[in-house]
Amino acid sequence: MRGFLLDPFRFGYMQRALIEVVLLGVLAGTCSVYVLLRRSAFASDVLTHTIFPGVVLAFLVGQPLFLGALVFGLLSAVVLSVATRALGADDDVVLGVMLGSFFSVGVVIVSRTTGYANDLTALLFGRVLAVDRAEIVVTAVVTMTVVGTLALLHKELVLRAFDPVGVEALGYRPVLLDLALNVMVALVVVAAVKAVGTVLVIALLITPAAAARMVCQRLGPMFAVSCAVAVVCGWLGLAVSYDVSINHGVRAASGASIVVVLTAAFVLLAALGAAARALAARSSPPVTTPA
Amino acid sequence: MTAVVLLESDLLRRALLEAVLVGALCGLVGVHVVLRRLPFFTLALSHAALPGVVLASLAGVSLFLGSLASSLVLVAAVATLGSARRLDTSTATGVALAGAFALGVLLQSAQPGSSRDLTAFLVGSIVTVERADVLLTAVVGVAVAAVLAALHKELVLGAFDRDHAAALGYRPLVLDIVVLAMVALTVATSIRAVGTILVVALLVTPPLAARLWVDRVVPMMAVGAGVGALSGVIGMTASAEWRVAAGGAIALAATAALVASAVAVAIPRQAGRRQTSAGPGAVLSQ
Repeated sequence: MRGFLLDPFRFGYMQRALIEVVLLGVLAGTCSVYVLLRRSAFASDVLTHTIFPGVVLAFLVGQPLFLGALVFGLLSAVVLSVATRALGADDDVVLGVMLGSFFSVGVVIVSRTTGYANDLTALLFGRVLAVDRAEIVVTAVVTMTVVGTLALLHKELVLRAFDPVGVEALGYRPVLLDLALNVMVALVVVAAVKAVGTVLVIALLITPAAAARMVCQRLGPMFAVSCAVAVVCGWLGLAVSYDVSINHGVRAASGASIVVVLTAAFVLLAALGAAARALAARSSPPVTTPA
Repeated sequence: MTAVVLLESDLLRRALLEAVLVGALCGLVGVHVVLRRLPFFTLALSHAALPGVVLASLAGVSLFLGSLASSLVLVAAVATLGSARRLDTSTATGVALAGAFALGVLLQSAQPGSSRDLTAFLVGSIVTVERADVLLTAVVGVAVAAVLAALHKELVLGAFDRDHAAALGYRPLVLDIVVLAMVALTVATSIRAVGTILVVALLVTPPLAARLWVDRVVPMMAVGAGVGALSGVIGMTASAEWRVAAGGAIALAATAALVASAVAVAIPRQAGRRQTSAGPGAVLSQ
């Protein structure tokens, strides 16, 4: 067991992948709690797709992917608010249109280049084993920035999630708070693009907090469990993917392995939570409330 | 010019026909997706098709059946998670979407030559459709249209007023399942042509464009199907002309139709407002 968990990380590229995944675990574990509170799973998923053309363009002109993604993250946040007002449609429907149109711009641009399928696959699914030192530094900086900003805005973001009317009455602008959260989500996508790609990053943005929610009631423990789940599953996922690929001769994509392990952790915690609640209900019979 | 070129090649003629059929089918079914606010769920359905497609291709059975089966597993998973009431529906949908899709990517990564197949799944590969695919799209399209027509009144009632539908003796849950099954069928047929992500664009954008022109549900379906089919023609033409991915071009054509509709509807409205503000007396005298 120890060999299974530690042996793969004798190699430099596996160590770099592990550092990257641990950083991403802390980053995504924190951010996903706010995504869960705001119930903005779909908006976050749309952001991961609308950032795609930005990543493609940056990739083509040789600029840092970070810049392209950031520009498109901000752009889509603005388009979303304008389009919702102009069309008078439900948020979800506008989100669906945005997802499709932005993503197809990316697809159309990539399809003009040579080595189309290969590039597209790298951008969509990431290559965590090819992460280099500079990218780890970027991830570390992004992690500190995002976690720091979320900590500063914690009170406001939580209030916005639980009481949208109250936050406005107190003089905050809900639009700006939403924009702030969306920018943080965009940054997570940017940081994770190399490791897990734009399609699977949605798992990092939703599943850790959802898993934590299955066993936690309060916000503080939820942050801790969410980060722990994301970090441990990142490690386990890398180890599993290495073990299956090297010792069993079946190739297993590292990014996808991480997400599958993460989903398994969610199912496990959901079962544990349900069992714990069932036990608690049996040991203490429900209090009968007076009519 | 290019449209003529499209018609000359057997391959492209078939692709064009498929694009028109898929566009019309998505435009039609998409009205229910918009009415019931299902875009995210549809996205999850289409992502969840991947493990089914991979397993079906391994087992050598129909990819269509594989994707349909695994979409249905997702419906069950989301329903189970949602009923636990600890997670809101969108989070439950997101967890299931990501997990199912990653499972598909993992299964796929074990096959040789996986990246090309995966790309085709995500963004479609319409020029490789075969006669049997076009035939399947046509059959599914007719069947779905027939079901939607036969149950039209009930399905619309279920979308707008579940309590009323229940009071009239219908089972809202059964109506939901019928709609989801139709959406899943549409997704399973369209993935081959436009891919898993862009099928959502085709399901949402044409009906939204239609809604700008008409208010009632049946005309919305007709206009939606028309916009979808037209997007197929324009997208295929643009794809042949500029050598870009067909799936992306079709989805962008639909977006262009939506933007054009929004502008076309807004201009007369603005003009009308200007006229009334210029002559308030005219309004008062009426």
